[in-house]
Amino acid sequence: MIEILETSLFALLALGVLTGGLMILLARRPATHAMGFFIALLSVAGLFALLHQSFLFFAQVLVSVGGVVIVTLIMILTVNLREADLPPEPHQTRWLIGAAVIIAPLSLLLYQTLTTLGDAFPPVSDTFGGTRSLGTLLFHDGVLPFEILSVLLLTAMVGAIIIGKKEQSYDRES
Amino acid sequence: MTTAQILVTLGSIVLAALLALLMIPVLVWLERRVCGLIQDRPGPNRTNVFGFRLGGVVQSFADVVKLVTKEEYIPDHIRYGRWIFLLAPMITFASALLAFMVIPFADTVQVDGAALRIQGLPVSYGILWYLAIGSVGILGMVFGGWLSHNKYSLLGALRAAAQMISYELALGLGIISMILTYDTIDFNAMVQWQSGTFWGFIPAWGLFIQPFAAVIIIIALFVETNRAPFSVAEGESEIVAGFFTEYTAMKFAMYFMGEYVAMNTASAVIVTMFLGGYQLPWFSTAALLEHFRTVAGVLLLLVPVVMTLFILWMRRNNRVRLTLSTDGGRGRETRILTGVLIGTTLLIEAILLWLLLEPAGSIGASVAVPLLQIVIFVVKLMLVNLFIILIRWTLPRFRYDQVQVLGWRYLLPAALANLFVTSIIVAGVGS
Repeated sequence: MIEILETSLFALLALGVLTGGLMILLARRPATHAMGFFIALLSVAGLFALLHQSFLFFAQVLVSVGGVVIVTLIMILTVNLREADLPPEPHQTRWLIGAAVIIAPLSLLLYQTLTTLGDAFPPVSDTFGGTRSLGTLLFHDGVLPFEILSVLLLTAMVGAIIIGKKEQSYDRES
Repeated sequence: MTTAQILVTLGSIVLAALLALLMIPVLVWLERRVCGLIQDRPGPNRTNVFGFRLGGVVQSFADVVKLVTKEEYIPDHIRYGRWIFLLAPMITFASALLAFMVIPFADTVQVDGAALRIQGLPVSYGILWYLAIGSVGILGMVFGGWLSHNKYSLLGALRAAAQMISYELALGLGIISMILTYDTIDFNAMVQWQSGTFWGFIPAWGLFIQPFAAVIIIIALFVETNRAPFSVAEGESEIVAGFFTEYTAMKFAMYFMGEYVAMNTASAVIVTMFLGGYQLPWFSTAALLEHFRTVAGVLLLLVPVVMTLFILWMRRNNRVRLTLSTDGGRGRETRILTGVLIGTTLLIEAILLWLLLEPAGSIGASVAVPLLQIVIFVVKLMLVNLFIILIRWTLPRFRYDQVQVLGWRYLLPAALANLFVTSIIVAGVGS
């Protein structure tokens, strides 16, 4: 009973991920793209929840669904791209066919990896991925790389602000 | 699971749903009556069903009937994305409702050897759930405003998103300092932490431990509920109605109800994190269970007094026109309500008497203590709701840029400083 429920939930969420991805690729309107993005990210969060990964679920919902989608929406709304603003894309069909031919062997490799990778990892313990164990791992065992990463992020943020900043009148005078 | 466990689990789910959904008409009514009180007028008090007005609550149900039976109308200029237009209010409402589900209404109950949580969703990571699900609600507003194809709606939606981003930071930092203080992300454990006292007489509530963080988080939660004085997403004087300008009937009602559920959730979070949750001040759950006969005895004396005062207040105020001595045959409701209230009092007294005569440690106390805690929680929740409503009707609206300045220049540095000091103190005390 539980297994049937889990399988059907997984099927629903996987369908959500695929639908969302296809919507991003195929839709004509930016609003539908955004909705597809939202559905895909939310379904991935659901998949994490199905695996009892509470922290990943929250990180996904909080950062991706709550943060990234909102920022993407603001970006779409403020930039307001029109069809005419986009660069021309000649030979679209040829590009598509060429890309498909190149990707075909890669997708075979991907299939092989996905089908065999599951057996290569040992089953995880019950506390795996819990908020407490992850916190201990990040702030106790791996505190130095974590802090270096945060400095890197800070640098990136400062860089983005400096690049994005408009040149002010007082900048030119000095 | 045994039958008793299933019953307790189902009961807490139903309780959570009722507390979230039934609170909407009550809050709408409270809002109107408080608004009336502040503006020196009675507020809605005439709508009735067979002469029963219940002080005006019936007006909220009349509004529900009106909204449900209204024509579902989609503006003609919305050519594409109609399904997203319809879906958007549901996202907001569902996320507001789901965020409420992790609030504990009573301490864990031991049923047949298993500790059951009295919350809609029995999880141990409440605060994360609230933050995560609460942040999804804004998406419904942005999608709704965007797909309305209307400049005012779009501006409202963008304002809502910008406001959310600027205050989510202060809220998150404030909550992190509370997590450091309580050393847990579990709402129930937070409430248990607050059951002690300082120096024997001040209850160890979050409000007294972290007054600074309390102010920051309460302001940020006010902003998250999108109500005046921070209602920049819906400014009648600037952008018509904001993101829901094009919405009618139940679609509008979804946004409307979502706002009230979100407000109720914010109050519940404030109660849980800062006001001791379901705890009676100075009485932890263990103390309540141990001294239950004393508590029942005190309640036995207290309930009739409170009820008598309430009945007198009701008899004096339950009129359509306060100045008229006779109410044109409308006294029937007052008479019947008096009877009902006296009957309820007698019933409660009988139950309390029965509990007093029970031996200590029996099943009676272990059922009555959670019920008492639920009542305490609801009373605290209503008081905080009343506080939020009073703030709304007393303070003028902030301008949009003022809201942003408050968020970025004052609240964010204050929250950062508070987090810094909290971490030093927690590390110092812990080592």
